[in-house]
Amino acid sequence: MSERKPTERKRIEIPLPTALRMLGDYAAARIGEQVRSVAFIIIYLLAFQIVILGSPPAGALSIALGIGLVVLGLALFLEGLLLGLMPLGERVGLQLPKRTGIIPIVLFGLLLGFGSTLAEPAIAALRTAGESVTAWETPLLFLMLERTPEALVTAVGIGVGIAVGFGMVRFYFGLSLKPFVLTIIPLLLVISAVFSFDEKLSAIVALSWDTGAVTTGPVTVPLVLALGIGVSRATGKGESAGGGFGIIMLASAFPILSVLVLAGGLHGETPSPTDEQTFFSPTFREQALKLFESSEELERYAFTRAGETGRRALFEEEAEYHAALEALREDQTTRNRLLGDLSLSEWLTTQASDAERDRFPRIRRSAETPSASGAPTGSAGVGSGSRDAGGFARIFAEEGRLAIRAVVPLSALLLLVLLVLLRDRPRYRDEVVLGIVLALIGMAVLTSGIRLGLAPLGDDVGARLPRVFADSTHGIERVVIDEFDREVVFESIGPDGDRRSYFYLHDDGEPERVRFHPERFDEARSRYEHVVQRSPLFGPELTALGIALVLVFAFGLGYGSTLAEPALNALGRTVEDMTVGTVKRSSVIRAVSIGVGVGLVVGVARIMYNIPIIWLLAPPYLLLLPLTIWSEEEFTGVAWDSGGVTTGPVTVPLVLAMGLGIGSELGVVDAFGVVSMASVFPIVSVSLYGFGVRARQRRAIRDAERSAGDE
Amino acid sequence: MSDAEAKRNPPHSYREVSRIVCHVHHRLSRHVGERLVELGARSVLIEPGRTVRQLRRPRPFGLPGKVVRLEDQPAEVFTAVVDRDEAEAVMHDIIATAELNLPGRGTIYSQDLVEYRRPAQRDGQSDPSQTAPPVSPTRTEAPGVALLRDLALITCILSMSGSGEQLARVALDLGTCVPVVTLGTGTGLRDRLGLLRITVPPDKEIVQLVVPAYDAEGIMRILIDEGNLTQPGRGFVYQTPVRAGMIDTRLRIGAQEHAASIEQIIAAIDELKAGTAWRKRFVGLAGDETDEALRLPRDNREISVICTEGRAETLVEAAIEAGAGGATTSRVRRLSSIDIEGRIAARERSTISVPASICERVVSALLEAARDSDDIADRIEVLDSPAAFTHTT
Repeated sequence: MSERKPTERKRIEIPLPTALRMLGDYAAARIGEQVRSVAFIIIYLLAFQIVILGSPPAGALSIALGIGLVVLGLALFLEGLLLGLMPLGERVGLQLPKRTGIIPIVLFGLLLGFGSTLAEPAIAALRTAGESVTAWETPLLFLMLERTPEALVTAVGIGVGIAVGFGMVRFYFGLSLKPFVLTIIPLLLVISAVFSFDEKLSAIVALSWDTGAVTTGPVTVPLVLALGIGVSRATGKGESAGGGFGIIMLASAFPILSVLVLAGGLHGETPSPTDEQTFFSPTFREQALKLFESSEELERYAFTRAGETGRRALFEEEAEYHAALEALREDQTTRNRLLGDLSLSEWLTTQASDAERDRFPRIRRSAETPSASGAPTGSAGVGSGSRDAGGFARIFAEEGRLAIRAVVPLSALLLLVLLVLLRDRPRYRDEVVLGIVLALIGMAVLTSGIRLGLAPLGDDVGARLPRVFADSTHGIERVVIDEFDREVVFESIGPDGDRRSYFYLHDDGEPERVRFHPERFDEARSRYEHVVQRSPLFGPELTALGIALVLVFAFGLGYGSTLAEPALNALGRTVEDMTVGTVKRSSVIRAVSIGVGVGLVVGVARIMYNIPIIWLLAPPYLLLLPLTIWSEEEFTGVAWDSGGVTTGPVTVPLVLAMGLGIGSELGVVDAFGVVSMASVFPIVSVSLYGFGVRARQRRAIRDAERSAGDE
Repeated sequence: MSDAEAKRNPPHSYREVSRIVCHVHHRLSRHVGERLVELGARSVLIEPGRTVRQLRRPRPFGLPGKVVRLEDQPAEVFTAVVDRDEAEAVMHDIIATAELNLPGRGTIYSQDLVEYRRPAQRDGQSDPSQTAPPVSPTRTEAPGVALLRDLALITCILSMSGSGEQLARVALDLGTCVPVVTLGTGTGLRDRLGLLRITVPPDKEIVQLVVPAYDAEGIMRILIDEGNLTQPGRGFVYQTPVRAGMIDTRLRIGAQEHAASIEQIIAAIDELKAGTAWRKRFVGLAGDETDEALRLPRDNREISVICTEGRAETLVEAAIEAGAGGATTSRVRRLSSIDIEGRIAARERSTISVPASICERVVSALLEAARDSDDIADRIEVLDSPAAFTHTT
């Protein structure tokens, strides 16, 4: 028999116009699908910004471009998944049990899981969430996030690796997911509860649950899903193993455990939380140095991140403190030493206290100071700073690199295993290669588009959102004007003769008329301090309405951004395939999105009212335990996997922007916990949906049999 | 074949067997599967599918009229091979086990076919399933259960997603039977397009209907018309004979308008008249009028190839080389009483429709291709297909 491959046999030549038309139809269909999934969140954000907040988005052109890229990127990425990565994963999964035993399969799972964490580290997202983490309030968080993030990544990687390994074992032996769930979840809850009582460890709980939620990225999820389906089909136990679902859940749960364990291990080496002054004082020095390599680093930290109390506390004698300030003013090397990357003028505006600023008269704010309008101090937006012209190429290059890192190693590993170890090849090799390339390009385009368009939009809304419920006008930032010339002040007069003073202030933009308050003018130093007042959206008596609006917004944000997630789309298609169309993918996607919406509402509530995370984690997870026991095996896996699928490239930036915006307004330490809420509630909603499906099926059977009794 | 070839390839040995197909609701499937295995039926395969029925509900809020929509339910489709003389006994057993005589439970039918297996066994391996103990139904036949004869199976293979529901709606409106839909992937023309094939999705929906034999052709024509199958690339419909069966007549669920449903009445009359011949609706359509684009070849065969997952590609290639147009491949799973630890249960079934003239050649090619591997799971079934339709491309 000749060995011709299908693609080489009697190739039909399609004339170019026809071919282009076919390609055009196909591309249009795919892109149209993505337009539909992204439409909700875009319209929602724009509507919220324009209608509620009353201001059009800044940089509208780049945002529009970004949105276009998001749609294109989603279409390309998803097609790449469906064409290349998932068939590849499934093929590997199918052949593995045929050619090797359980041990190599588990090893492969470990390697894949660990590799996927390195490929798609979500640590960046976590660090953003923990931006305002300070060394004295939450030392353990600081240590894990800032000082030794590698330890964190490794712990997470080990967790995911073990999870995938366990998953392979599960499918190979046809074990149900339920025992795993019923063991791990209570274990995690108990450990979290215990940790919540320890002052050092309580801050870690939210971080660890968040870590679990973000681990599995948009490349890992479909890949691991397809792999599981392949193994499950090959070993043929089918029903009891739930058809391939369940690994994602494990890959979300085990990292939580490993982070908690890591925290427990580092517990002894961290100082206890204290206030700022104690932390920097020499008596505490030994403790503080557990977090820093040297005294010099500690000093730098005191200058760049702490306030005046901290800096004063650094030195035994007051005189030393003043001497340091002097040196800072005069000596360039001291500046480098103490301020690191920060320039002196930046430091003066952002970190220095009034008293300290007084020591530096006539230091002008130089041109490279970041503009003080438009962003609350101390909080850097997730996507800010990336909209400058010429930055587009840079963004694309950066995201491209990340995309290569996410897609290539995993695909290479799978190909290697398939070709070398299993000595098999995928059915349509050219499709697999094309799929990998599409996934790569799609991911780069998608994440670039998010940075250009979606994240700034989310930032804008997130930054302004706190205004919605602020019940008092309080200054968010100050603009200090040195060499204030009294001459610029002019007066206005009202009908009753009362006078008010104003002047025009231009701050890297159009001149703005600003009220002049004489008490803020310092005659001696010719300095005026202008406090930028942002009036809240509603009057003080409408705060409750404001809060309600924020919560409604949170729901819509969660719902809309989840609709667009590619990994969820892949999960939905898989469910539709498995059930031969009985459960439509749109239903699954909607159920998950509703869950995320609810989760975000709870997450935002947590930030607003500072509810300890364990109170918000325990009830839904405890509710899930009996739900899991009663649910059908096939839905159990799907439901629990929904939790891990949700947090992806579209949701996380938006959610973080919102969380940070609200958090910084309230001066809350961190924005952790929102993501884990967005992870647990979808599990609830999909489980309930599964019950609904089952009830409907039962009723239909009863209906179908109703006449039977008459026969 | 020349003499030399004939010496090399002796006429293939085959067996005359029956294929029993049963689809039941997902919740009842465990009993059926276990029972089939217990009875010693060979090559029990299971495939997920969905049944489509019409659901009638009163409009909400007391508005007049009814809401009619399609209700999908998960079903499992079992296929098993038994000796011809045991087919009816096995069917009666399964009917009793799953109470298939009650409307709404499911459908079961048997088709006579010819089965080819690889003649030689390597290394003394023997497939235990081939030496299974004879079928021994132990449950007695439920009283009053009579199998319908003179039935036919219409299989529609549809290319566009969503057309399965559409066709099912047509079938339900015609009042034929409860359609069952399964999934498959198609090979054939698509593979010859090079990378451009990604613009042509390979997924197929396979809709199967069991209808009275007399009406089969008429129904086929209506399906072709209503389902717009006359357009190129839409799909492919063919008919295969059914020896006997019990059909699920519960087409409509939900609000009951009369004392008895129309299906109950039909079933009662079927029983009174001992057959479905009275139902014949389409008179004089036996192959006279033809449409330009409507070609109904009279003498086709359906060839089903069952093999372990991953091998279908090779076998289908061999078939296409020998002249077949293409194949539709579905993934199925094997059930067995024998402990299959270490044995892979994933299977693929490829269905090929070919004119009778090249059937022998294709079968030879398939057997030849199967000979090259030591996979004992390969099996070929051939069924007559008296009418088939495809767009003339």
